[in-house]
Amino acid sequence: MSEAGLVEDAVFRKSTLGVGRWMTVIGILSAVALLLAVLCLQFGAQFVGIKEAVRMLNQMVGAPGGSESDVSTMATILLHVRLPRVVLGFLVGSCLAAVGVALQALLRNPLADPYVLGVSSGAALGVSIAVLFGVGTTALTVTALPICGFIGSLVALVVLYRMAASYDRLPIYSVLLAGVILNAICSALIMFITSIMDPSRSFGMMTWLMGSLTAPTYPTLLVFSLYALVCLGLLFRQVKVLNIMAFGEEAARSLGIDTECAKRHIFLVSALATGAVVSVSGMVGFIGMVVPHAVRLIVGADHRLVMPASALIGGTFLMVTDTFARTVVSPSELPVGIMTALVGGPFFVYLLVWRKDRMS
Amino acid sequence: MKRRQQGILTGMPFMANITPRTFVDDAGRKLYIAKAPTRVVSLAPSITEMLFALGLDEQIVGVTELCNYPAAALSKPKIGYARPNLESVVALRPDMIVAPQEFLRADLLAKLEELKIPVFLIEAKSVDDVLMQLQSLGKIFNKTKVSDTVTGAMRDRIAGVTKRIMTSKRKRVLYVLNSHPLITVGPGSYIHHMIELAGGINVARHSASAYPRLSLETVLQEDPEVIIFPVGSLESIPKSEQEEWKRWSNLSAVRHRQLREVSSDALNRPGPRVVEGLELLARAIHPEAYLSGEAPHSP
Repeated sequence: MSEAGLVEDAVFRKSTLGVGRWMTVIGILSAVALLLAVLCLQFGAQFVGIKEAVRMLNQMVGAPGGSESDVSTMATILLHVRLPRVVLGFLVGSCLAAVGVALQALLRNPLADPYVLGVSSGAALGVSIAVLFGVGTTALTVTALPICGFIGSLVALVVLYRMAASYDRLPIYSVLLAGVILNAICSALIMFITSIMDPSRSFGMMTWLMGSLTAPTYPTLLVFSLYALVCLGLLFRQVKVLNIMAFGEEAARSLGIDTECAKRHIFLVSALATGAVVSVSGMVGFIGMVVPHAVRLIVGADHRLVMPASALIGGTFLMVTDTFARTVVSPSELPVGIMTALVGGPFFVYLLVWRKDRMS
Repeated sequence: MKRRQQGILTGMPFMANITPRTFVDDAGRKLYIAKAPTRVVSLAPSITEMLFALGLDEQIVGVTELCNYPAAALSKPKIGYARPNLESVVALRPDMIVAPQEFLRADLLAKLEELKIPVFLIEAKSVDDVLMQLQSLGKIFNKTKVSDTVTGAMRDRIAGVTKRIMTSKRKRVLYVLNSHPLITVGPGSYIHHMIELAGGINVARHSASAYPRLSLETVLQEDPEVIIFPVGSLESIPKSEQEEWKRWSNLSAVRHRQLREVSSDALNRPGPRVVEGLELLARAIHPEAYLSGEAPHSP
C-alpha cells in the first residue's frame, strides 16, 4: 500500500486537494443533505412542521409505556412512512451516484451510468427471474433479491466489458452501443417473463420496474443499508486507483498498479450495489450520470473528493426528487423513476450534443 | 320545400328498416343484425359468463384463455386474451363477436369490420350497465325471456344487499390492488362503484385517476376500517403481502382485524356474477349485517 501511496504522491504532487478543502466540501455537503432531509420529512400528503414533530417525539419519549394504538397517526406517518423512505432514497441515490463515478472512471466514458449501460436492466432481469421462481414471497426476500440482482448486473457488466473491450481502448460510442444492446436484450427478457408470469403478479412487477421508492420496514431498511454502506465503503477505498486509472490502463500499469485486479474489484462492487439498489427501487435512471458531472464541474476531477461528494449529492438529489414524486399529485404518487429520467434525459442529450468536444 | 321532400323520400324507407333489429353498442356504433347470431365469439370472461347466463351454450364457439366460468367455458376453443389471435378468431367463422371496449385494440376492430364480422362492444362502469347489456344481448339473440328472468333475479339480489346494509353505518374501505407501491381503485373505476354500493366509503375517493398510486400517508390519515384484498386467478394479493399490512397497527382495520379477502373473479367481472361479488363485498365490509341468518326478503 505504501508503494501505491508513493505512486499517488508522484502523480498528484501538484494536486491542490488538501485535507482542509476536503473537509470543507464534505462538511458543507453533509450539512446541506441533513438540512434538506429535515425539510423533506416535513412534506407529504400533509405538511408537518418541525415544532409539531418535536412535540410529538417528546410525547412519545415522555410516555413510552403507552400502547401502540396511543401513538398518533401523524407520528406513525413520520417515523414509519416518511423517515424510512427518506433514508432509503438517500442510500439509493448515493449508491447510484458512486457507481456512476466508478464506471465513468473505469470505462473512461463520461456517459457511463448503470441505467444507460444496461447494468440496471441486468439487475432487474435477475430480480425478475427470482420473483418468477417465487423468491419474492418468502422470508428470504430481503437478503436474496439483492444477490439475484447482483448476479444479473454482474453478467451484464462482464458482457458489456467484453463487447466493448474488443477494441484496444474503449471508444465512448461503442460502450454506449453495447449498453443499448444490453438494455434491449434485458428488457425483452423481462417482458417475456412478465408475459408468462401469473397475471396477478405481473402487474406488481411492471409498477416496480417503473422505479419507485416505498416505505420499507425497518428490518428491510437495515439489510439494505448494510449492502449499501459496505458497497460505498469498498468504492471509497478505490478512489486513488480510480485517479490513476483515469489516465489510462497503460499508465496505471506502468505505475505499478494491478489493473486487472482493480477492475475486477470495482466491477464486483458496482454490480453488488446496483443489484441491491434495483431490488428495492426498480429502475431509477440517470442519477449515476448527472450527479458525477455536476460534482466534477464544482470540485474538479480528483476522485478522492468526487466520490464522496457524488454520493452525498446523489443521495440528496434522489431524496428531494422523491419528495416531489410523493407530493406533486397528492393524494396519489408518481414513480420517482419518471422524475429522475425527466431531469437526467435532457442532461444526457446536452452532454451528447453540445459537449462532445470534451468527451473525445 | 325541396329539402323536406328529400327527407321523406330517402329517410322513410330507411327508418322503416331500422326499428327492430338495429342495435347500438356501448361505443355508440350502430349494428344491423338481421337474425339471431348462431356462432358467437366472446373476447372477455365477463362476456362469456353473460352469454352462458342467457343459455347460449351452443352458439358460443370461442372464448378467451381466462374464461373459466361456468365449467362449460373451459371446453370451448380458446383465442388468447390480451392479444386475441385474429386467425383463430376468423377460423371459427363467427357471425358475431362480443368484445370489451377498453381492451379491444383499434387495429383488430378495424380488421374485423373489414372482414364484415359484426362486433358488439361492451363497457360496464356500473352494475346498471351490466343489466342493460344483458338486456341488449337478450334482444340480439332473441332470448328476451331469459334475459328478463336473469336481470330480474339480479335486481332482487341487489335490492337484498341494499336492504341488509341499510341500517349499517358506511365504513371507510381500502381496496389493495398492489402493495409495493400501493395501487388502489379510484373514482371512475368499476370496483369503486361497487364499494360505494356495498356500503363502503373508498379512502381513495379524492384521487384523480381510476387506478391511482395512493400515498401510504393518505391511507394512514384516512384510517380505513376495512382493508380488502382481491384473491383469484387474474388479480391476487398473496398471504405474505397481506401480513405486511399488519405492521400499520394504528389503522382501525388492523386493530379490529378487518383485513378481508374477496374473490376477485366474482368482483372484477362485470357479468351476471356481479351480484355475487357485490354480496361478498357487502359481507366483507359489513359482517355484522350478515350475522342474523338469512337475508330479509324484500316485500
